[in-house]
Amino acid sequence: EIFKMRLLTHNYMQSTVKGTENGYPLQIEADKIEYEESPFDPDFVIALIPKIEYKTILFAVQQIAERCSTDLPSEIQLPDLPETIEKDDNSEYDKELLKKLHVVLLDIHVVQGHLVCPGTGRRFKITQGIPNMILHEDEI
Amino acid sequence: HVHLDFQRPELESVLSLHDIKIGTDCLDIPLPRHDSEYPHKRPFLILSFDYDYAKRKFNLCDEDEVLSDDISRLSIIDKNRPTVASVLSRVTLIRSALELFGVGISIDTCATDVGMLWKGIAGKEILSRCMEETSSWSIQIHTLGTKYKREEQNEMRDRFAFLNFPGPVKIKDPTNEFLLIREVELDEKGTPLYPRYPTKDILNEENDSRPPLGVYFGRILGGIRDWRGNNRLERLSLKKRSYLGPTSMDAELSLIMTNLGKVQKNSFCFEPFVGTGSILLTCGLRGGYCCGADLDIRVLRGRNENENIISNFQQFNLVRPDLVRSDNSLYSRHYLTDKPMYDAIITDPPYGIRAGARKSGSKLEHPRPVSEDQRHDHIAQTQVYHVSDVMADLLNVAARNLVIGGRLVYIIPSMTDFDAKTDLPRHDCLKLVNVCYQPLQVELGRRVVTMEKVVEYDPLQKDKYLSSVWVNGQQSAEKCARIRERLMEAVKLKPGYEEKARYRKQKRVETREAKKRAKREAKGIISLNTNATGSD
Repeated sequence: EIFKMRLLTHNYMQSTVKGTENGYPLQIEADKIEYEESPFDPDFVIALIPKIEYKTILFAVQQIAERCSTDLPSEIQLPDLPETIEKDDNSEYDKELLKKLHVVLLDIHVVQGHLVCPGTGRRFKITQGIPNMILHEDEI
Repeated sequence: HVHLDFQRPELESVLSLHDIKIGTDCLDIPLPRHDSEYPHKRPFLILSFDYDYAKRKFNLCDEDEVLSDDISRLSIIDKNRPTVASVLSRVTLIRSALELFGVGISIDTCATDVGMLWKGIAGKEILSRCMEETSSWSIQIHTLGTKYKREEQNEMRDRFAFLNFPGPVKIKDPTNEFLLIREVELDEKGTPLYPRYPTKDILNEENDSRPPLGVYFGRILGGIRDWRGNNRLERLSLKKRSYLGPTSMDAELSLIMTNLGKVQKNSFCFEPFVGTGSILLTCGLRGGYCCGADLDIRVLRGRNENENIISNFQQFNLVRPDLVRSDNSLYSRHYLTDKPMYDAIITDPPYGIRAGARKSGSKLEHPRPVSEDQRHDHIAQTQVYHVSDVMADLLNVAARNLVIGGRLVYIIPSMTDFDAKTDLPRHDCLKLVNVCYQPLQVELGRRVVTMEKVVEYDPLQKDKYLSSVWVNGQQSAEKCARIRERLMEAVKLKPGYEEKARYRKQKRVETREAKKRAKREAKGIISLNTNATGSD
């Protein structure tokens, strides 16, 4: 597949179809998942941490867990993430945690499926890896 | 040179990546004869650093190291101890840099100035770095196109023989390459205004006796005389990208824009009108993490599996960018906006000149509701997206979603009657860093605008922000919005327009008639106009 959607992208997307305040986080109906490795850069992951909603990461992982068990290659496991992210006594993040975050945010891709608005159930299609968030004229 | 206006801003932006500010951390020294009547911009700049500062800031011992030709090094700035060359070579519009030993208004005064170098502590250190017996050397001469015979050139070299470099002379790739520049006046095309040999082999005595504008002598930094061949366009082969479209940004301009935007390794870059992704690709080449959005799904998908944004990134071995189909006029409806995400937003927004601007929604006040079973296959309606709104929304999205210190760099087409002070869109949270003008045609040019976020965004003031985007209110917005019509009007005023329009119309009529005839003949109907001779 040429185009793929990362969980990092899902992390800051929402739906505000007219008539709902509850548009975040979007539910994920994953029909097809792919794993694509990218170079691990701890500095980049550390820079991402203040920008992401960690609870949404945990939620997203839950949403795709089942599809991952069928679609991910056998050597790749969906990482086990802690309830919260914290720095250690040296005021640093644990390197293993950073690696897990890297895999979850950047290397696991939803190729086909839908993002679903929690408030209205409106489904935004992910076609060939590109999420289509365009609102219809009666939703604006 | 098309990008004259961009040189200084691009240099300043790249220097600020290293916390270097001209005027504070270094000084811009006037060139020799800077007060002469010569009208054109000169191609040299002298920056003077306090020597102790330079030793702390730069790795001065490795300045002869040849700049890497590894593409990925474009994105790596060793901030801890860069060489001067590694800092400056990132600037697209700089061809090379010299460690300047001396300068003067003639070869003699320059040589005298170089001789003074021995007298200071700093000068002694600088010279002793060139005095290894194993270091080969040569002196190149750059005369800006003025012709000098070999003997004359050697005479010039001899004036600097007192330096007494101990190592062997080596013409090609020496350890230390020294450069003697004899600057003369040039015309707009870059050829000498007062050539010594205007006619072949006949010396023009008057021109020959003219003094130079300046003479400079120094050591080439980065091991290469002209950086343009190295980690630049030619090597990058940006022009050979697999996916290009009619609006793809010319490669040099996008390299400059990413410098103006201070894109570096791990910069979070966003392009709200990504199109074919040419600017986004350059962000990726500079090590940025790239996200692109566009309303048009066809352009996001690309032409086919080998010609699309992703294949362009793959061609350069870059991590894939994130792509979303979304509408920038509704940015805050698609994305969370409570935490500023982006370090850089660099884009060429649609103006409706070559690519019509559209946004979601219907022009009807109350569009027909879409029933739930139709929802899935419904194709969203779009409406005209006025340029003035494109710009207002862009600034607001940038103000809200850039981190403090993050940069917005965008292009705005403008006619020559554009006043950058009053006609540019503005925002309370963004400060204008620079505006660079690039002329394209007689009436039309484009301006590359760089803004920086300096104040945090207050969502409660959204309406106030949007209503104060245009200083002269509708007037400035209109100037922007009507560019397409004004271009058409300007074209009609061109000489020969009427004739060409008539010719084109005639051609269209002829083509139509030919098609009709072909259709009729295919159906077996005999044309009554045929000049038939003989019997049928």
